[in-house]
Amino acid sequence: MPRKTLATFRVSSLSILDAAGKVDPNLDPKLPAKTLQQMYSLMVLARVFDDKAIALQRQGRIGTYAPVKGQEACQVPSALQLTKGDWLFPAFREAAATIAFGIPPERLLQYWGGDEQGSKCAADKNLFPVSIPVGSHMLHAVGASWAAKLRKEKAIALTYFGDGATSEGDFHEAMNFAGVFKTPTIFLCQNNQWAISVPRERQTAAASLAQKAIAYGIPGMQVDGNDMLAVYVATKEAIARARAGEGPTLIECFTYRIGDHTTSDDATRYRTNKEVASWKKKDPIDRVRTYLSANNMWDENQEKQLQLNTAAQLDKIVQAYETFPKPKINDMFDYLYAQPTQELVQQKQELTS
Amino acid sequence: MTNLTLIQAVNQALQQEMKRDPTVMVLGEDVGKNGGVFRATEGLWQAFGDERVVDTPLAESGIVGVSLGLAVNGFKPVAEIQFDGFLAPAFDQVISHVGRIRNRSRGRFHAQLVIRVPYGGGIHAPEHHSESPETYFVHTPGIKVVIPSTPYDAKGLLLAAIRDPDPVLFFEPKKIYRAFRQEVPETDYTIPIGKARLVKQGHDITVIAWGAQVRTAEQAVVQAKVDADIIDLRTLSPLDTDTVINSVTKTGRCVIVQEAPKTCGLAAEVIARINERALLSLEAPVARVTGFDTVMPLSRLEDSYLPSPERVVKAIKKTMEF
Amino acid sequence: MVLEFAFPDVGEGITEGELRKWLVKVGDVVKQDQPLADVETDKAVVQIPAPQAGTILKLHFNEGDTMHVGAVMVSIGEKGEKAAPEARKTTSVVGDLEESKEVLQAPEPEAVVPVQPGVFHALPSVRKLAKEKKVDLSQLTGTGPGGRITEEDVTKAGGGKPRAAPASAMIHMRKYDFYGYIDHLPFKGVRKLTAKRMVQSLYTATHVTTMDEVDVTRLVELRERWKIKLSKEKIHLTYMPFIVKAVVHALKKHPVLNAQLDEEHDDIILKKYYNIGMAVDIPDGLLVPVIKGADEKSIRDLAKEIQELAQKAKDRKLDPGDMKGGTFTITNVGVIGGIFATPVINFPEVAIIAIGRIHERPVVEDGKIVIREILPLSLTFDHRVVDGAEASRFLETIKDHLNDPALFAIDRD
Repeated sequence: MPRKTLATFRVSSLSILDAAGKVDPNLDPKLPAKTLQQMYSLMVLARVFDDKAIALQRQGRIGTYAPVKGQEACQVPSALQLTKGDWLFPAFREAAATIAFGIPPERLLQYWGGDEQGSKCAADKNLFPVSIPVGSHMLHAVGASWAAKLRKEKAIALTYFGDGATSEGDFHEAMNFAGVFKTPTIFLCQNNQWAISVPRERQTAAASLAQKAIAYGIPGMQVDGNDMLAVYVATKEAIARARAGEGPTLIECFTYRIGDHTTSDDATRYRTNKEVASWKKKDPIDRVRTYLSANNMWDENQEKQLQLNTAAQLDKIVQAYETFPKPKINDMFDYLYAQPTQELVQQKQELTS
Repeated sequence: MTNLTLIQAVNQALQQEMKRDPTVMVLGEDVGKNGGVFRATEGLWQAFGDERVVDTPLAESGIVGVSLGLAVNGFKPVAEIQFDGFLAPAFDQVISHVGRIRNRSRGRFHAQLVIRVPYGGGIHAPEHHSESPETYFVHTPGIKVVIPSTPYDAKGLLLAAIRDPDPVLFFEPKKIYRAFRQEVPETDYTIPIGKARLVKQGHDITVIAWGAQVRTAEQAVVQAKVDADIIDLRTLSPLDTDTVINSVTKTGRCVIVQEAPKTCGLAAEVIARINERALLSLEAPVARVTGFDTVMPLSRLEDSYLPSPERVVKAIKKTMEF
Repeated sequence: MVLEFAFPDVGEGITEGELRKWLVKVGDVVKQDQPLADVETDKAVVQIPAPQAGTILKLHFNEGDTMHVGAVMVSIGEKGEKAAPEARKTTSVVGDLEESKEVLQAPEPEAVVPVQPGVFHALPSVRKLAKEKKVDLSQLTGTGPGGRITEEDVTKAGGGKPRAAPASAMIHMRKYDFYGYIDHLPFKGVRKLTAKRMVQSLYTATHVTTMDEVDVTRLVELRERWKIKLSKEKIHLTYMPFIVKAVVHALKKHPVLNAQLDEEHDDIILKKYYNIGMAVDIPDGLLVPVIKGADEKSIRDLAKEIQELAQKAKDRKLDPGDMKGGTFTITNVGVIGGIFATPVINFPEVAIIAIGRIHERPVVEDGKIVIREILPLSLTFDHRVVDGAEASRFLETIKDHLNDPALFAIDRD
């Protein structure tokens, strides 16, 4: 008996808006100008916010911060498509997604400034707190989206993680659960080529991260992560599938971490300036500006105005952050259980008396 | 009212609660069609179907992580980890997330879920099937740890655990799953989490135990012919310190029986609290009869490891004669 | 005051800049707003103005370096002041790691906590008491197990009765006092414990004793017959088993004598179990082993158990458990030769009966004088709980059963 082929696979990559700002007319989603401008503005806000956060850290006004610079196009067009009732499960580099999701940016500063209060989102926003243990939070996204499915709701869960996370066991358990139970979960992997100082090639022998989906029986695709439109389209498709009950999708956004891993890292120790420079040429925000400008959807005045507005917005954000009340000692004790235990009450008294 | 074994009481609690509350879900390995390897979930899949009684892939971390997601979006998962030793792969999810989500989100999210685990030795099982890992979870803030020792308590405590807004590790002493029966009311009742049970009242000595070791304590007290307070802790976290202190203040002597390895086991914590609040009532050092600081042996040596009534009698005598 | 001037965010959202050219050098005196350096950012080359007037003390970067926003670039102050030393950049990926200039001392040879000599042993509660009574524990000899200093040792030393002489072992060896030669007996152990209990009982319960006699001629005859038979089973049959049985019958009929007073809760606890204590005389005093569940034991069982317990008592082999849980006590004064007595109740029971010596006596029956075996009984009861009338009725029931042992068979046990 000849050997049987059980399966073959193909994995595709999607690119619509290239680094030079040109859109492939066959793939153009033909979004209204307003939507494109909105996404562009949000990406600019995220970029400016990001730089400000780094500056604040340097000035001792917030603690360690994980910059998102270069990955704005992975996060804004995807998070923006979530609607009321949907869930967002970030890792720790999702400042842009969180802002696009509608969370006041000063809350992010509050979190990175060292106050858990920053993670308490509004009751009508399903934003899970930042999850530091790499790769551990996708399971939560699977569970929450599964719950929605069991109740026959249309809500979905979108979870972000990096290339490093795809090496963690919980990533595999999450993908596997999602596949078995066909949960409406979107796994958005931001392959920014680096897990601190460990390059993407060291995370897996597979040719792409997208193809890992195939092992779990779910669709996976790669997109140019610096391409706002490709990310938009891929996410839209995945969301539609999820809401239609067709289950989870893995989207690998191929991008680059322009900044250091965190404000305490020095990436020049392990990457070349040449590499960084070459990726800067593929900047996700620049190409959108180029494209919009070339197609009468943006001009210099609008750009100037946006810069001014964004700067003013950031000032307000920082001010709002710095006028937040400081955390109280009670906060350390009051949120372990629904009701503090006798032991906790005593320990609190010990500390506060 | 019928006489039920501990495992039957667990089953009854699950049956009744799943009927009463449609958001309660059971998930784990082999819990569905097979009814659980100990038959704890017998009949549930048949009664409640695929979507409420779920056979999961073989992935403990996945089971707990997914339970957290289900819990924050409106369900009350009762997850089963098949054996104590297999809590280890799920440890990260418990301590990094389940115990923390309320604090991390300042109450915006919380984890109302139960993780049921058959635990402890005495059934001559293969490696990793006889562990007593309760201390790791008592040591984790944000988690509650409950261990019943009787069928009546098992039902009442499990119902309380499922209804508790906080995450509960519910350890079921498998050695006594079927060792005895007890009258268990068919009505709805709960036993408060955080309250110990006074098994017997006396004046000469306090003997503290939990799980399968409550029996050992009872047998030892009879053999030693002492007039003892016997306390079944029932909840290890939060600990019912008051009951312990009131008793030790009365008797002045105490022996604690613990199956888990000696060092840093819960007995040490109880003794620390006795030290803090009842030192001047002590007539003798508080003794503990525990497992050893060794790996739980395979079946041939198991009986040498587990606390026995004889070892406890010895400790009682020594404490009485100090 | 030295100003450590950090490379500012020049408002265009930059994060870093390349230091193209210094426009000042160390030692220069600058005015406020005077340009310090040309810095190239993503957007343009900007000049960084001095934030205040002063002397340039230190330039922290070289031309061509990349400066991050927020990094100190210039130290400005008074001439002669020292600029802060360079704080090296932290090299973790999270948090603020302190980069310290502190140097630890070289390690010394490892110190060892020596084993403590001359430690005296005392429980924490005893140590506390000693402290309160200002007693120096190191001066005491402990009388507890293993030479442990007990609470009593401390209480004695700390101001019990005033002592004419220091509390040393010498005083126990004194062979005379003012009036003549003397000797000593130790007042401790069982003797002391008995004393303590006597005091407690007498000062708590209101002791009233009622006495009576009963004709036990038939019982004596029964016992003589069975004494021989049971001696073949190595059982020494005394009158005790019968007395125990009679007492149990009476306790069932008059439950208030098988009770305990819980003053704190205003409750008289009626015991539904019958654990009869038997006082046993030993050289040091009195021990009271308890026969548990006497109502469920036959005369033979009781005889056996009584024998065993008495022997254990004499051999001082009783468990603490053997002496706990009693509900009523019988004390046999007759074995030595007394008739009546005023026994002390075994606290916290409410009654105790003393059995006197069975002796032959002339009694009047139908106008004739006959010789009968007479057993004297003395019942002390706690009048707080038991009425005199009830006590008498109780005694009557006992008398009935001892007078006619057939009642054991006729009445339900």
